[in-house]
Amino acid sequence: MFFTRNKLYLFLSILCTAGYFWIYFNLTKNPIINTDVCLFKHVTKIPCPSCGSSRSITQIIQGNIQQALYLNPLGFISAFLLLITPFWIIIDVILQKKTLFNWYKKIEYFVKKPKIAILFIILIIINWIWNIKKEL
Amino acid sequence: MEAQKVDMFILANGKFFEAHNINIIRDKLLLIDDSKWAVLSTIQFKDPTTSLIVSILAGGFGIDRFLIGDTGLGIGKLLTCGGMGIWTIVDWFMIQDATRAKNMEKIQQFLY
Repeated sequence: MFFTRNKLYLFLSILCTAGYFWIYFNLTKNPIINTDVCLFKHVTKIPCPSCGSSRSITQIIQGNIQQALYLNPLGFISAFLLLITPFWIIIDVILQKKTLFNWYKKIEYFVKKPKIAILFIILIIINWIWNIKKEL
Repeated sequence: MEAQKVDMFILANGKFFEAHNINIIRDKLLLIDDSKWAVLSTIQFKDPTTSLIVSILAGGFGIDRFLIGDTGLGIGKLLTCGGMGIWTIVDWFMIQDATRAKNMEKIQQFLY
């Protein structure tokens, strides 16, 4: 997808809104109801690398940082992104700047460097193995 | 560039681009200098079929997006379990056009 600034902001807004609704749903739902939505987990019965992030975020909101870290450390990244992105978009739209867009491009460029990419891939795989061991 | 060379390029690489872009590429290629042929023939394009296969097999982790160079979206897809499965399914239908658009982006850097 050839992203322009406005397209990216629209897409990120939709993603964030969906994320907040999902967290709200997770916080208020009946704990007995099973709400696993991960396609990979349903098909293979193995948790995916990011399974447990929503549970991790709900634990962060409830203040159980240690439990959140145990469930899935990726939850912290998701929570951080969910927290800052809406504000960043609003500020950018009001001031008619494109700082977030430029950052997005910079991060894409940074992550594409082979050394960084390999490091991230290894970290994700370690997290995945841990997820499978924890049987999330 | 000679029309023959341009047509050869279009024949060999037409499948990597969206149909409506082919004429634009052809017109632009006819205008550019012959000396750029060597560089042009070394540009590697991503195959839409490959990305579709990757999308079906590993779309849930965003590997398809990483493959075509949309690293940002790939990370987004990975962190959200493939957008709770919805984004994964949407991408089965979107990824081929996304790949072609990426190829167009790549050749545009060369054409302009």
